Amino acid sequence: MTTRHEPESTGFLYPFIESEETDATSLLDDLAASARGKAGESARLQQESLDEYAPGLTAAGTQMAERFLRGGRLYTLGNGGSSTDAATLATLFSRPARGRPVAAWSLAADEAVVTALGNDVGFDLIFKRQIIAHARDRDVAIALSTSGNSEDLMTAITEAKQRGLLTVGFSGHDGGRMAVADDLDFCFTVHSQSIHRIQESHAMLGYRLWSVTQEHMARPMSEARP
Amino acid sequence: MTTTAQLGGSYIGMELSADLAAAALDLARRFHDGATLWVISPQWEPHAHHVAVEFVHPVIMGKRALPSVALVEPDPVAQARVASQPGDLLIAVASADEPAVVDAMRRAPAWGVLTLWIGSGPRPPAGAANHILWIDSDDPMVPATGTFVLMYHLLWELTHVCFEHPGLLKPRAESDVCVTCGDEGRLGEVVLEPVNGQALVRAAGGEEWVDTTVLGDVRVNDLILVHAGAAITRLEATS
Repeated sequence: MTTRHEPESTGFLYPFIESEETDATSLLDDLAASARGKAGESARLQQESLDEYAPGLTAAGTQMAERFLRGGRLYTLGNGGSSTDAATLATLFSRPARGRPVAAWSLAADEAVVTALGNDVGFDLIFKRQIIAHARDRDVAIALSTSGNSEDLMTAITEAKQRGLLTVGFSGHDGGRMAVADDLDFCFTVHSQSIHRIQESHAMLGYRLWSVTQEHMARPMSEARP
Repeated sequence: MTTTAQLGGSYIGMELSADLAAAALDLARRFHDGATLWVISPQWEPHAHHVAVEFVHPVIMGKRALPSVALVEPDPVAQARVASQPGDLLIAVASADEPAVVDAMRRAPAWGVLTLWIGSGPRPPAGAANHILWIDSDDPMVPATGTFVLMYHLLWELTHVCFEHPGLLKPRAESDVCVTCGDEGRLGEVVLEPVNGQALVRAAGGEEWVDTTVLGDVRVNDLILVHAGAAITRLEATS
Protein backbone atom coordinates (compact mmCIF):
# COMPACT_ATOMS: atom_id res chain seq x y z
CA MET A 1 0.00 0.00 0.00
CA THR A 2 2.63 2.56 1.10
CA THR A 3 6.38 2.46 1.30
CA ARG A 4 6.59 3.23 5.01
CA HIS A 5 8.38 -0.07 5.73
CA GLU A 6 11.59 1.04 3.95
CA PRO A 7 14.74 0.33 5.98
CA GLU A 8 15.95 3.33 7.93
CA SER A 9 19.43 4.65 7.43
CA THR A 10 20.52 3.27 10.80
CA GLY A 11 19.33 -0.21 9.87
CA PHE A 12 22.89 -1.50 9.41
CA LEU A 13 23.42 -1.09 13.16
CA TYR A 14 20.77 -3.70 13.92
CA PRO A 15 21.24 -6.54 11.46
CA PHE A 16 18.76 -8.82 13.25
CA ILE A 17 15.88 -6.36 13.35
CA GLU A 18 16.46 -5.38 9.75
CA SER A 19 13.43 -4.98 7.53
CA GLU A 20 14.88 -7.54 5.11
CA GLU A 21 14.05 -10.29 7.63
CA THR A 22 11.64 -12.66 5.91
CA ASP A 23 11.51 -15.95 7.84
CA ALA A 24 9.15 -15.72 10.82
CA THR A 25 10.05 -19.12 12.26
CA SER A 26 12.72 -17.95 14.68
CA LEU A 27 10.62 -14.97 15.76
CA LEU A 28 7.65 -17.25 16.49
CA ASP A 29 9.91 -19.55 18.51
CA ASP A 30 11.23 -16.58 20.48
CA LEU A 31 7.72 -15.23 21.08
CA ALA A 32 6.47 -18.59 22.34
CA ALA A 33 9.47 -18.95 24.67
CA SER A 34 8.90 -15.40 25.91
CA ALA A 35 5.22 -16.19 26.57
CA ARG A 36 6.17 -19.25 28.63
CA GLY A 37 8.75 -17.26 30.59
CA LYS A 38 6.31 -14.47 31.42
CA ALA A 39 3.60 -17.01 32.28
CA GLY A 40 6.00 -18.75 34.66
CA GLU A 41 6.80 -15.42 36.31
CA SER A 42 3.08 -14.66 36.59
CA ALA A 43 2.39 -18.02 38.29
CA ARG A 44 5.35 -17.63 40.67
CA LEU A 45 4.23 -14.14 41.70
CA GLN A 46 0.63 -15.29 42.21
CA GLN A 47 1.76 -18.16 44.46
CA GLU A 48 4.17 -15.97 46.45
CA SER A 49 1.46 -13.35 46.95
CA LEU A 50 -1.08 -15.96 48.07
CA ASP A 51 1.44 -17.42 50.50
CA GLU A 52 2.57 -14.07 51.90
CA TYR A 53 -0.96 -12.80 52.50
CA ALA A 54 -2.75 -16.02 53.52
CA PRO A 55 -3.51 -14.84 57.09
CA GLY A 56 -4.58 -11.35 55.96
CA LEU A 57 -6.80 -12.69 53.18
CA THR A 58 -8.50 -15.06 55.64
CA ALA A 59 -9.08 -12.24 58.14
CA ALA A 60 -10.31 -9.79 55.49
CA GLY A 61 -12.58 -12.37 53.83
CA THR A 62 -14.06 -13.34 57.20
CA GLN A 63 -14.82 -9.73 58.07
CA MET A 64 -16.32 -9.16 54.64
CA ALA A 65 -18.59 -12.20 55.07
CA GLU A 66 -19.82 -10.85 58.40
CA ARG A 67 -20.66 -7.54 56.75
CA PHE A 68 -22.46 -9.22 53.84
CA LEU A 69 -24.51 -11.24 56.34
CA ARG A 70 -25.58 -7.92 57.90
CA GLY A 71 -26.71 -6.62 54.50
CA GLY A 72 -23.45 -4.91 53.59
CA ARG A 73 -22.43 -4.36 49.99
CA LEU A 74 -19.12 -4.13 48.17
CA TYR A 75 -17.75 -1.21 46.13
CA THR A 76 -14.67 -1.79 43.96
CA LEU A 77 -12.46 1.05 42.71
CA GLY A 78 -9.69 1.32 40.14
CA ASN A 79 -8.39 3.33 37.18
CA GLY A 80 -7.71 2.09 33.63
CA GLY A 81 -6.95 -1.62 33.44
CA SER A 82 -7.43 -1.82 37.20
CA SER A 83 -10.96 -0.43 36.77
CA THR A 84 -11.74 -3.43 34.56
CA ASP A 85 -10.18 -5.77 37.13
CA ALA A 86 -12.28 -4.02 39.78
CA ALA A 87 -15.36 -4.67 37.65
CA THR A 88 -14.44 -8.34 37.21
CA LEU A 89 -14.01 -8.63 41.00
CA ALA A 90 -17.38 -6.96 41.64
CA THR A 91 -19.01 -9.38 39.17
CA LEU A 92 -17.35 -12.32 40.90
CA PHE A 93 -19.10 -11.30 44.13
CA SER A 94 -22.45 -10.31 42.60
CA ARG A 95 -22.80 -12.92 39.86
CA PRO A 96 -20.52 -15.88 40.72
CA ALA A 97 -20.59 -19.02 38.55
CA ARG A 98 -21.22 -20.91 41.79
CA GLY A 99 -21.91 -19.95 45.40
CA ARG A 100 -23.93 -17.16 46.94
CA PRO A 101 -24.21 -13.76 45.22
CA VAL A 102 -23.87 -10.56 47.25
CA ALA A 103 -24.39 -6.91 46.30
CA ALA A 104 -21.26 -5.51 44.63
CA TRP A 105 -20.44 -3.03 41.89
CA SER A 106 -17.57 -1.09 40.41
CA LEU A 107 -17.67 2.66 41.03
CA ALA A 108 -16.11 3.24 37.58
CA ALA A 109 -18.92 1.42 35.77
CA ASP A 110 -21.38 4.25 35.24
CA GLU A 111 -20.05 6.74 32.68
CA ALA A 112 -22.79 9.27 33.49
CA VAL A 113 -21.76 9.38 37.15
CA VAL A 114 -18.00 9.29 36.45
CA THR A 115 -18.10 12.06 33.83
CA ALA A 116 -20.52 14.17 35.86
CA LEU A 117 -18.21 14.09 38.86
CA GLY A 118 -15.04 14.41 36.79
CA ASN A 119 -16.42 17.42 34.98
CA ASP A 120 -18.07 19.18 37.91
CA VAL A 121 -15.86 18.51 40.94
CA GLY A 122 -12.65 17.07 39.47
CA PHE A 123 -11.27 13.66 38.62
CA ASP A 124 -9.73 13.14 42.07
CA LEU A 125 -13.22 13.05 43.58
CA ILE A 126 -14.96 10.62 41.18
CA PHE A 127 -14.93 7.82 43.76
CA LYS A 128 -15.12 9.79 47.01
CA ARG A 129 -18.37 11.50 46.06
CA GLN A 130 -19.93 8.13 45.25
CA ILE A 131 -18.81 6.74 48.63
CA ILE A 132 -20.51 9.73 50.29
CA ALA A 133 -23.69 8.99 48.36
CA HIS A 134 -23.83 5.19 48.69
CA ALA A 135 -21.94 4.04 51.76
CA ARG A 136 -23.40 2.60 54.97
CA ASP A 137 -21.23 1.52 57.90
CA ARG A 138 -21.67 -2.19 57.13
CA ASP A 139 -20.25 -1.89 53.58
CA VAL A 140 -16.85 -2.79 52.12
CA ALA A 141 -14.54 -0.89 49.73
CA ILE A 142 -11.75 -2.57 47.75
CA ALA A 143 -9.31 -0.30 45.88
CA LEU A 144 -6.99 -1.65 43.17
CA SER A 145 -3.92 0.31 42.08
CA THR A 146 -0.68 -1.09 40.66
CA SER A 147 1.23 1.91 42.02
CA GLY A 148 -0.70 2.35 45.25
CA ASN A 149 -0.62 6.09 44.65
CA SER A 150 -3.82 7.02 42.81
CA GLU A 151 -5.26 10.18 44.36
CA ASP A 152 -8.87 9.37 43.45
CA LEU A 153 -8.60 6.03 45.27
CA MET A 154 -6.83 7.42 48.34
CA THR A 155 -9.41 10.18 48.96
CA ALA A 156 -12.22 7.65 48.56
CA ILE A 157 -10.58 5.22 51.00
CA THR A 158 -10.19 7.96 53.61
CA GLU A 159 -13.86 8.83 53.24
CA ALA A 160 -14.85 5.16 53.40
CA LYS A 161 -12.85 4.58 56.58
CA GLN A 162 -14.44 7.60 58.26
CA ARG A 163 -17.87 6.18 57.41
CA GLY A 164 -17.09 2.84 59.06
CA LEU A 165 -16.51 0.75 55.94
CA LEU A 166 -14.06 -2.12 55.85
CA THR A 167 -11.29 -0.88 53.56
CA VAL A 168 -9.04 -3.16 51.50
CA GLY A 169 -6.25 -2.11 49.15
CA PHE A 170 -4.51 -4.10 46.39
CA SER A 171 -1.24 -2.40 45.52
CA GLY A 172 1.97 -3.08 43.61
CA HIS A 173 5.64 -2.12 43.31
CA ASP A 174 6.64 -0.95 46.83
CA GLY A 175 3.03 -0.39 47.86
CA GLY A 176 3.13 3.39 47.43
CA ARG A 177 0.82 5.50 49.57
CA MET A 178 -1.48 2.53 50.14
CA ALA A 179 1.24 0.61 52.00
CA VAL A 180 1.45 3.33 54.68
CA ALA A 181 -2.17 4.46 54.73
CA ASP A 182 -3.80 4.31 58.18
CA ASP A 183 -7.19 4.31 56.48
CA LEU A 184 -6.70 0.85 54.97
CA ASP A 185 -7.69 -2.08 57.20
CA PHE A 186 -5.82 -4.46 54.86
CA CYS A 187 -3.23 -3.74 52.18
CA PHE A 188 -1.98 -6.48 49.86
CA THR A 189 1.07 -5.30 47.91
CA VAL A 190 2.24 -7.45 45.01
CA HIS A 191 6.00 -7.08 44.87
CA SER A 192 6.76 -6.65 41.17
CA GLN A 193 7.82 -3.89 38.78
CA SER A 194 5.52 -5.14 36.01
CA ILE A 195 2.03 -3.65 35.88
CA HIS A 196 0.83 -6.71 33.93
CA ARG A 197 2.12 -9.23 36.45
CA ILE A 198 0.76 -7.14 39.35
CA GLN A 199 -2.72 -7.10 37.80
CA GLU A 200 -2.64 -10.87 37.27
CA SER A 201 -1.80 -11.34 40.97
CA HIS A 202 -4.48 -8.84 42.03
CA ALA A 203 -7.02 -11.03 40.24
CA MET A 204 -5.82 -14.15 42.06
CA LEU A 205 -5.80 -12.39 45.47
CA GLY A 206 -9.32 -11.11 44.78
CA TYR A 207 -10.40 -14.61 43.89
CA ARG A 208 -9.00 -15.94 47.19
CA LEU A 209 -10.80 -13.17 49.09
CA TRP A 210 -14.05 -14.22 47.38
CA SER A 211 -13.39 -17.89 48.24
CA VAL A 212 -12.87 -17.12 51.92
CA THR A 213 -16.00 -14.97 51.97
CA GLN A 214 -18.07 -17.72 50.34
CA GLU A 215 -16.75 -20.35 52.71
CA HIS A 216 -17.60 -18.21 55.71
CA MET A 217 -21.10 -17.33 54.51
CA ALA A 218 -21.88 -21.01 53.96
CA ARG A 219 -21.27 -21.87 57.63
CA PRO A 220 -24.12 -22.21 60.14
CA MET A 221 -24.64 -18.99 62.13
CA SER A 222 -23.28 -20.44 65.39
CA GLU A 223 -19.99 -21.26 63.70
CA ALA A 224 -19.77 -18.02 61.71
CA ARG A 225 -20.05 -15.87 64.82
CA PRO A 226 -16.85 -15.46 66.81
CA MET B 1 -11.34 -25.76 52.70
CA THR B 2 -10.89 -22.61 50.69
CA THR B 3 -11.30 -23.18 46.97
CA THR B 4 -8.02 -22.91 45.16
CA ALA B 5 -7.72 -21.93 41.53
CA GLN B 6 -5.02 -23.20 39.21
CA LEU B 7 -2.44 -20.47 38.56
CA GLY B 8 -2.97 -18.91 35.12
CA GLY B 9 0.65 -19.23 34.08
CA SER B 10 0.59 -23.00 34.53
CA TYR B 11 -1.76 -23.33 31.54
CA ILE B 12 0.70 -21.72 29.11
CA GLY B 13 2.54 -24.79 27.75
CA MET B 14 4.22 -25.44 24.41
CA GLU B 15 1.00 -25.56 22.41
CA LEU B 16 -0.76 -22.49 23.86
CA SER B 17 2.44 -20.43 23.79
CA ALA B 18 2.84 -21.24 20.09
CA ASP B 19 -0.80 -20.30 19.50
CA LEU B 20 -0.25 -16.97 21.28
CA ALA B 21 2.89 -16.30 19.22
CA ALA B 22 1.14 -16.95 15.89
CA ALA B 23 -1.83 -14.80 16.95
CA ALA B 24 0.45 -11.93 18.02
CA LEU B 25 2.23 -11.91 14.64
CA ASP B 26 -1.12 -11.73 12.84
CA LEU B 27 -2.22 -8.90 15.15
CA ALA B 28 0.99 -6.97 14.44
CA ARG B 29 0.68 -7.51 10.68
CA ARG B 30 -2.90 -6.26 10.58
CA PHE B 31 -2.18 -3.29 12.87
CA HIS B 32 0.77 -2.47 10.59
CA ASP B 33 -1.66 -2.36 7.67
CA GLY B 34 -4.03 -0.01 9.52
CA ALA B 35 -6.42 -2.39 11.28
CA THR B 36 -8.68 -1.50 14.19
CA LEU B 37 -9.12 -4.14 16.90
CA TRP B 38 -12.72 -4.73 18.03
CA VAL B 39 -13.33 -6.62 21.26
CA ILE B 40 -16.46 -8.43 22.44
CA SER B 41 -17.13 -10.31 25.69
CA PRO B 42 -20.88 -10.54 26.25
CA GLN B 43 -20.50 -12.63 29.42
CA TRP B 44 -17.62 -10.64 30.91
CA GLU B 45 -17.67 -7.06 29.60
CA PRO B 46 -14.73 -5.93 31.77
CA HIS B 47 -12.44 -8.24 29.79
CA ALA B 48 -13.45 -6.45 26.57
CA HIS B 49 -12.69 -3.11 28.19
CA HIS B 50 -9.35 -4.36 29.54
CA VAL B 51 -8.17 -5.54 26.10
CA ALA B 52 -9.15 -2.21 24.54
CA VAL B 53 -7.45 -0.03 27.16
CA GLU B 54 -4.35 -2.24 26.97
CA PHE B 55 -3.83 -1.46 23.27
CA VAL B 56 -5.04 2.16 23.34
CA HIS B 57 -3.11 3.26 26.43
CA PRO B 58 -0.08 0.98 26.91
CA VAL B 59 1.24 0.51 30.44
CA ILE B 60 4.80 0.81 29.13
CA MET B 61 5.78 4.37 28.23
CA GLY B 62 6.82 4.84 24.62
CA LYS B 63 4.89 1.90 23.17
CA ARG B 64 2.62 3.06 20.37
CA ALA B 65 -1.10 3.51 20.97
CA LEU B 66 -3.13 1.20 18.76
CA PRO B 67 -6.80 1.55 17.82
CA SER B 68 -8.96 -0.83 19.84
CA VAL B 69 -12.57 -0.53 20.96
CA ALA B 70 -14.74 -2.63 23.28
CA LEU B 71 -18.17 -3.36 21.79
CA VAL B 72 -20.46 -3.88 24.79
CA GLU B 73 -23.93 -2.94 23.56
CA PRO B 74 -26.70 -5.56 23.91
CA ASP B 75 -26.19 -6.75 20.30
CA PRO B 76 -22.42 -7.06 19.76
CA VAL B 77 -22.91 -8.73 16.35
CA ALA B 78 -24.76 -5.69 15.01
CA GLN B 79 -22.10 -3.44 16.56
CA ALA B 80 -19.21 -5.42 15.07
CA ARG B 81 -20.92 -5.61 11.66
CA VAL B 82 -21.23 -1.86 11.28
CA ALA B 83 -17.92 -1.00 12.94
CA SER B 84 -15.61 -3.41 11.17
CA GLN B 85 -13.97 -2.99 7.79
CA PRO B 86 -11.99 -5.47 5.68
CA GLY B 87 -8.56 -5.98 7.25
CA ASP B 88 -9.74 -5.34 10.81
CA LEU B 89 -9.37 -7.59 13.86
CA LEU B 90 -11.92 -9.06 16.28
CA ILE B 91 -11.10 -10.59 19.66
CA ALA B 92 -13.80 -12.41 21.60
CA VAL B 93 -13.34 -13.39 25.24
CA ALA B 94 -16.14 -15.89 25.70
CA SER B 95 -17.11 -19.50 26.23
CA ALA B 96 -17.59 -21.70 23.14
CA ASP B 97 -21.38 -21.66 23.50
CA GLU B 98 -21.89 -17.89 23.76
CA PRO B 99 -24.47 -17.31 20.98
CA ALA B 100 -23.47 -13.78 19.95
CA VAL B 101 -19.82 -14.77 19.69
CA VAL B 102 -20.62 -17.94 17.73
CA ASP B 103 -22.61 -15.76 15.32
CA ALA B 104 -19.93 -13.04 15.05
CA MET B 105 -17.24 -15.64 14.37
CA ARG B 106 -19.14 -17.27 11.50
CA ARG B 107 -19.84 -13.88 9.92
CA ALA B 108 -16.34 -12.41 10.33
CA PRO B 109 -14.94 -13.96 7.12
CA ALA B 110 -17.62 -12.12 5.16
CA TRP B 111 -16.59 -8.90 6.88
CA GLY B 112 -12.92 -9.53 6.00
CA VAL B 113 -12.07 -9.59 9.70
CA LEU B 114 -9.40 -11.78 11.30
CA THR B 115 -10.62 -13.41 14.51
CA LEU B 116 -9.14 -14.48 17.85
CA TRP B 117 -11.19 -16.36 20.42
CA ILE B 118 -10.03 -16.53 24.05
CA GLY B 119 -11.89 -18.80 26.45
CA SER B 120 -12.01 -21.84 28.67
CA GLY B 121 -14.07 -25.00 29.05
CA PRO B 122 -15.25 -27.01 26.02
CA ARG B 123 -13.47 -25.79 22.89
CA PRO B 124 -15.09 -24.19 19.85
CA PRO B 125 -14.88 -26.41 16.75
CA ALA B 126 -11.57 -26.27 14.88
CA GLY B 127 -11.58 -23.38 12.43
CA ALA B 128 -14.30 -21.46 14.28
CA ALA B 129 -11.83 -18.57 14.56
CA ASN B 130 -8.48 -17.81 12.92
CA HIS B 131 -6.81 -18.21 16.32
CA ILE B 132 -8.38 -20.18 19.16
CA LEU B 133 -6.51 -19.43 22.41
CA TRP B 134 -7.98 -21.86 24.86
CA ILE B 135 -7.68 -22.92 28.50
CA ASP B 136 -8.64 -26.58 28.70
CA SER B 137 -10.22 -26.49 32.15
CA ASP B 138 -13.75 -27.24 33.29
CA ASP B 139 -13.42 -24.84 36.27
CA PRO B 140 -16.16 -22.22 35.71
CA MET B 141 -14.18 -19.74 37.82
CA VAL B 142 -11.27 -19.45 35.34
CA PRO B 143 -12.57 -16.12 33.91
CA ALA B 144 -12.25 -14.49 37.36
CA THR B 145 -8.77 -15.71 38.33
CA GLY B 146 -6.59 -13.54 36.10
CA THR B 147 -5.93 -16.26 33.54
CA PHE B 148 -7.64 -14.44 30.66
CA VAL B 149 -5.94 -11.23 31.80
CA LEU B 150 -2.59 -13.02 31.52
CA MET B 151 -3.46 -14.23 28.01
CA TYR B 152 -4.32 -10.81 26.60
CA HIS B 153 -1.39 -9.24 28.44
CA LEU B 154 0.87 -11.75 26.66
CA LEU B 155 -0.82 -11.02 23.32
CA TRP B 156 -0.16 -7.31 23.79
CA GLU B 157 3.46 -7.87 24.86
CA LEU B 158 4.23 -10.24 21.96
CA THR B 159 2.50 -7.98 19.42
CA HIS B 160 4.81 -5.13 20.34
CA VAL B 161 7.85 -7.40 20.00
CA CYS B 162 6.70 -8.10 16.42
CA PHE B 163 6.83 -4.36 15.62
CA GLU B 164 10.60 -4.61 16.10
CA HIS B 165 10.71 -6.94 13.06
CA PRO B 166 9.36 -4.78 10.23
CA GLY B 167 10.53 -7.22 7.56
CA LEU B 168 8.08 -9.80 8.88
CA LEU B 169 5.15 -7.39 8.84
CA LYS B 170 5.13 -6.92 5.07
CA PRO B 171 2.17 -8.33 3.18
CA ARG B 172 2.84 -11.90 2.14
CA ALA B 173 1.88 -13.35 -1.21
CA GLU B 174 -0.14 -16.13 0.41
CA SER B 175 -2.15 -13.65 2.46
CA ASP B 176 -3.89 -12.58 -0.74
CA VAL B 177 -5.24 -16.08 -1.20
CA CYS B 178 -8.45 -16.69 0.71
CA VAL B 179 -8.92 -20.26 1.90
CA THR B 180 -12.65 -19.96 1.35
CA CYS B 181 -12.10 -19.11 -2.32
CA GLY B 182 -11.85 -22.68 -3.57
CA ASP B 183 -14.56 -24.44 -5.53
CA GLU B 184 -17.05 -23.76 -2.76
CA GLY B 185 -17.09 -20.01 -3.31
CA ARG B 186 -16.64 -17.00 -1.08
CA LEU B 187 -18.63 -16.16 2.06
CA GLY B 188 -20.84 -13.08 1.79
CA GLU B 189 -23.40 -11.29 3.94
CA VAL B 190 -26.45 -9.70 2.32
CA VAL B 191 -26.52 -5.91 2.70
CA LEU B 192 -29.53 -5.06 0.50
CA GLU B 193 -32.35 -7.42 -0.50
CA PRO B 194 -32.48 -8.32 -4.19
CA VAL B 195 -33.91 -5.95 -6.78
CA ASN B 196 -34.46 -7.63 -10.17
CA GLY B 197 -32.54 -10.67 -8.97
CA GLN B 198 -29.46 -8.71 -7.84
CA ALA B 199 -28.58 -8.35 -4.12
CA LEU B 200 -25.83 -6.19 -2.66
CA VAL B 201 -23.49 -8.51 -0.78
CA ARG B 202 -20.59 -7.79 1.52
CA ALA B 203 -17.59 -10.10 1.20
CA ALA B 204 -13.98 -9.98 2.39
CA GLY B 205 -12.94 -7.97 -0.66
CA GLY B 206 -15.72 -5.40 -0.34
CA GLU B 207 -19.32 -4.98 -1.54
CA GLU B 208 -20.60 -6.40 -4.82
CA TRP B 209 -23.90 -6.99 -6.62
CA VAL B 210 -24.66 -10.70 -6.78
CA ASP B 211 -27.20 -12.67 -8.82
CA THR B 212 -29.61 -14.34 -6.37
CA THR B 213 -32.04 -16.00 -8.79
CA VAL B 214 -30.89 -19.49 -7.74
CA LEU B 215 -31.76 -18.85 -4.08
CA GLY B 216 -34.80 -16.68 -4.63
CA ASP B 217 -35.81 -15.34 -1.21
CA VAL B 218 -32.76 -13.65 0.31
CA ARG B 219 -32.91 -11.44 3.39
CA VAL B 220 -30.63 -8.77 4.82
CA ASN B 221 -27.79 -10.31 6.94
CA ASP B 222 -28.23 -13.77 5.39
CA LEU B 223 -24.90 -15.53 4.95
CA ILE B 224 -24.46 -16.89 1.43
CA LEU B 225 -21.78 -18.46 -0.71
CA VAL B 226 -20.92 -16.48 -3.81
CA HIS B 227 -19.43 -18.18 -6.87
CA ALA B 228 -18.76 -16.47 -10.18
CA GLY B 229 -21.00 -13.53 -9.32
CA ALA B 230 -23.94 -15.65 -8.22
CA ALA B 231 -25.28 -16.71 -4.80
CA ILE B 232 -25.29 -20.50 -4.83
CA THR B 233 -26.06 -21.50 -1.21
CA ARG B 234 -27.52 -19.97 1.90
CA LEU B 235 -25.73 -20.88 5.17
CA GLU B 236 -28.05 -21.64 8.04
CA ALA B 237 -26.95 -21.30 11.67
CA THR B 238 -25.66 -24.69 12.78
CA SER B 239 -26.96 -24.71 16.34
